[in-house]
Amino acid sequence: MFGTQSRREISHEFQPSMQYWKPSIHTRRANIVVKFQDLYGFTVEGNVDDVNVLNEVREKVRQQGRVWWALEASKGANWYLQPQISSISESVASLKLSSVANSIVLKRLIRKGIPPILRPKVWLSVSGAVKKRSTVPESYYNDLISAVEGKTTPATRQIDHDLPRTFPGHPWLDTPEGHASLRRVLVGYSFRDSHVGYCQGLNYVAAMLLLVMKTEEDAFWMLAVLLENVLVNDCYTPNLSGCHVEQRVFQDMLAKKCPRIAAHLEDMEFDVSLVATEWFLCLFSKSLPSETTMRVWDVLFYEGAKVLFHVALAIFRVKEEELLMTSQIGDIISILQRTTHHLYDPDDLLTVAFDKLGSMTTNAITKERKKQEPAVMAELDQRLRRLNSIKVDDESPSVSPVAPR
Amino acid sequence: MALITQTYLSLLSFWSTLMARTGNKNIQAKLVLLGDMGTGKTSLVLRFVKGQFYDYQESTIGAAFFTQILSLNEATVKFDIWDTAGQERYHSLAPMYYRGAAAAVVVYDITSMDSFIRAKRWIQELQRQGDHCFLTILFIDLLGNPNLVMVLVANKTDLETKRKVETEEGERYAQENGLLFIESSAKTAQNVNELFYEIAKRLAKACPMPPTGIKLHNETQGGRRLFCCTG
Repeated sequence: MFGTQSRREISHEFQPSMQYWKPSIHTRRANIVVKFQDLYGFTVEGNVDDVNVLNEVREKVRQQGRVWWALEASKGANWYLQPQISSISESVASLKLSSVANSIVLKRLIRKGIPPILRPKVWLSVSGAVKKRSTVPESYYNDLISAVEGKTTPATRQIDHDLPRTFPGHPWLDTPEGHASLRRVLVGYSFRDSHVGYCQGLNYVAAMLLLVMKTEEDAFWMLAVLLENVLVNDCYTPNLSGCHVEQRVFQDMLAKKCPRIAAHLEDMEFDVSLVATEWFLCLFSKSLPSETTMRVWDVLFYEGAKVLFHVALAIFRVKEEELLMTSQIGDIISILQRTTHHLYDPDDLLTVAFDKLGSMTTNAITKERKKQEPAVMAELDQRLRRLNSIKVDDESPSVSPVAPR
Repeated sequence: MALITQTYLSLLSFWSTLMARTGNKNIQAKLVLLGDMGTGKTSLVLRFVKGQFYDYQESTIGAAFFTQILSLNEATVKFDIWDTAGQERYHSLAPMYYRGAAAAVVVYDITSMDSFIRAKRWIQELQRQGDHCFLTILFIDLLGNPNLVMVLVANKTDLETKRKVETEEGERYAQENGLLFIESSAKTAQNVNELFYEIAKRLAKACPMPPTGIKLHNETQGGRRLFCCTG
């Protein structure tokens, strides 16, 4: 079952089928809910309007594909495989002009979307995963998988528990073969970084990576580069400290970029991390439709973790007026859920995220993180001490855990 | 003095928000579900809110939010339900979800002793939270609710053959700690509605509201009782 052939090809292909879904006579009325499969095989429930939007998105994906092919024809097949500016520490002056020009073109292109068929190659390249892989022997992944086969740890037990609970019903992920692939990637990573081990949420991220990358090994390296280089440190470690920091930074940014919403939510004592934690830990894969999630990830792998803030802010921004009318926490949540689940056209979201919010530099975000870190660490530390004092009680169960009054 | 008065007033407003946002026996109550991963927290809520059950329920990340209204003879209770992620490392997020809750449902899986131990930890933490709130009450806003309705739920009774935690064990712990105790199965729906009805009844009882709306002296009594319970 756990064979170690050099490249595990995922047999089930999720090439975007370019067939148009034609609403039948029974679904002419927009309020009729229909079920259909999206570009990555997920079952989507929506009305005829949603279907039309998805068909338009398919057409845009094809057009975008033509743009990429044309560029390959004029600039060479691997023109985007050059190092990106941000990863080079030398002065800009020493860079070749063509390289600068290419990276500007590339940034613009990536924000408009990478064609699904090119995603594996482009992601591996622009994220730095290729470079990461080149530092270890070629057999690294297969050796790792063979070495950990049959081992049981708390992480592997939790992974096993979550396999059938990761996008249940998906035509490939929810099969014995899909479970086995996802297991190898997650278990392999839990041994590569035993401090992270397994964090719930990574199951969804790794599953999406498998669907896109097509081979397990590539999915594994994308997961590695994501956790080790793209995202902020310690997002998934045992106290989720990095995630706590990101949430505070996000609150601060919301106050700056969407002050009316931030003030309204504060009046209602609504903490944005109630909803945003899942967005940041699953990188939107549980909230946004699959192609929209992938478009977010296109930019994430090229521009870095600041993209998550752009997108999260944009979700609030697109529903600003509606959110300002709410008076119940339940209404805020249902507006946000309805919105994210129906963002079938990625450009509706990404245009707001990158053109309507003003600039947010990685430097400014880094500074804000540094500012928030001490408070987060102090809070986590205080909490840990309180929990430890409870554990003492646990050892003498006859004593009432309620302190004397 | 001004600070104390202000705190007292904010306590009053908190009490009335918590127990009767719209008055007249309409109770809006925040309910939080806690417990180890895979004990069936989401399944219990989905069974209660939508009448659905899936053998493999997607794992919850952070938390999920649901609402449901229950009508009793004595009151209508609107539940705002926070269903939290179970993995140990998500523990650090929990206070955000249980802060200000009127009811807490702590779930374990009868086929897992570990999940029962984890449930006891949760209960101790919640009880401690109430004390913590008393100590800081005059300085920080009210974090916990000393009148919190707590239920210990032994879920998955459909897996009787694999049982590792005996009924008496859960029952005894609940009794010792003054909790409600219910054995349930989200799969067969056994005791799921009963669980939420029981909580609703307790909340209604804790909140006797005059049919003509809230009068100031009633609120004051509520506020005094709050102090009484903690002091």
